[in-house]
Amino acid sequence: MNARNIYFLAAVALFLAVNLYVAGYYYFRYRRSSQASWENLLAQLTWTDRNNISQVALDLVDEAGLPRPPGESATLEPSELWGLVGGLEGLQILETNSEVLVDLACYVQQWYPEALGVAERLRQDARELKWHVARLKGAVETGNLQVSFPFYAQRAVVAYYVMTRRVLSLYEASNFAMMSDLQKALWSNVCPPPSGKLTAPSG
Amino acid sequence: MRLTSLDLLFWAAGFLLNSTLLVILWCRYRARSFPFFTALITLMVVKTIVLYCVQHYGTRDTYFHTYWSLSILETLLQLSVVYEVASLVFRPLDVWAPDLKSTFGWLLGLSIFVAVGLTWLASPPARTWMQSFAKKGDFFAEALLCQLFVAMMGVSVSAGFPWKTHVAAIAQGLGAYSLIAVLIETGHAYFGVGREMPAFVVLSQVRMIAYLGCIVYWIFTLSYDEQPARQMTGKMREQIVDLQTRMAYDLRTLRSRKNR
Repeated sequence: MNARNIYFLAAVALFLAVNLYVAGYYYFRYRRSSQASWENLLAQLTWTDRNNISQVALDLVDEAGLPRPPGESATLEPSELWGLVGGLEGLQILETNSEVLVDLACYVQQWYPEALGVAERLRQDARELKWHVARLKGAVETGNLQVSFPFYAQRAVVAYYVMTRRVLSLYEASNFAMMSDLQKALWSNVCPPPSGKLTAPSG
Repeated sequence: MRLTSLDLLFWAAGFLLNSTLLVILWCRYRARSFPFFTALITLMVVKTIVLYCVQHYGTRDTYFHTYWSLSILETLLQLSVVYEVASLVFRPLDVWAPDLKSTFGWLLGLSIFVAVGLTWLASPPARTWMQSFAKKGDFFAEALLCQLFVAMMGVSVSAGFPWKTHVAAIAQGLGAYSLIAVLIETGHAYFGVGREMPAFVVLSQVRMIAYLGCIVYWIFTLSYDEQPARQMTGKMREQIVDLQTRMAYDLRTLRSRKNR
């Protein structure tokens, strides 16, 4: 056996091991996610202070999610923002909740295939939120968190807020009974059940 | 070229199973949803008939050229099936997900780079450059397909794309087959090609068994309809209405606070 053959066999072994590992990891992750029940999904949501989220988001966008004029936006001080958001930990909670929200939308899709559009929009919003949080995690490593936090954190919160606003707008605009049921279901991540562990204090 | 009774059995089984799958694809109205996959299965049926006729009535050279021409077409169709699966998963609203374009770009680039690297390392002992070229081509195609299916699975799960049953079945079948095919092609590249080599014959038979297994899996999964839309339970509906009411209250509070 010559050296080239040894390299070839070693490379193929590595190639197969990596591919099998990646395929197996994502396959089981998908199975776990797709087999989760309604109650399990709701239980995965972590409580967040909706008033704080709204206050941070509405400092940058209006209720429709459109940017405010330059003079009227971004009025919150960085220290105030940090407190309202709950620091990086608060953002990570929003990130996790956004994933659950996407799972919830996919779950509802089993009942209502019409939910596809809402699910896809929510998925894209969740990706945007993750992107902002990833920038902040990168800033932690480079020691620039204080400088980067106000910009990325506020945009992450806006993405989360828009996810919830988008559903309400659709609900208000739609007269279809099936569509309204779907929208009601998607509210669960911002309005947890009164008896559940996500019970929120009155605003 | 002399064929053993086992070769003929594989040939007949492949023809029958591919024909059955093709009938299912048309009769169960799957062909409209999966045109490239249907074309691939049609090619497999045609390939079996053509090669059988050429083997009986043609020359060795004619068989060689026909076999490799059809194999190139088969590889192109397999890549088209990858595109078909990707478009069904990543275009939920008939538009490619905009946040994944760059991810697709670098994953495709990486897959091609790795497949080229492995193919360059392979040095199959072959009598002619044509044989060597053909085996390297096979290896490249299988390594690329294998990576593309794994990459698609990873991207879809991490980005939150749901898979429909039939699309998942086609992707799982082809993905698993391409993984086994990489192993077989590695054996071919190591031991060499030619029907006079026992290792080549055994590996070819293992490949055929893997392919027949895939066809059987597709026949079963594509025979059944996808899970129909379900009805919400009364409890779930009640819970949802409660959630909506609380949310509407919160938003009214929020609006009044903003207006102050």
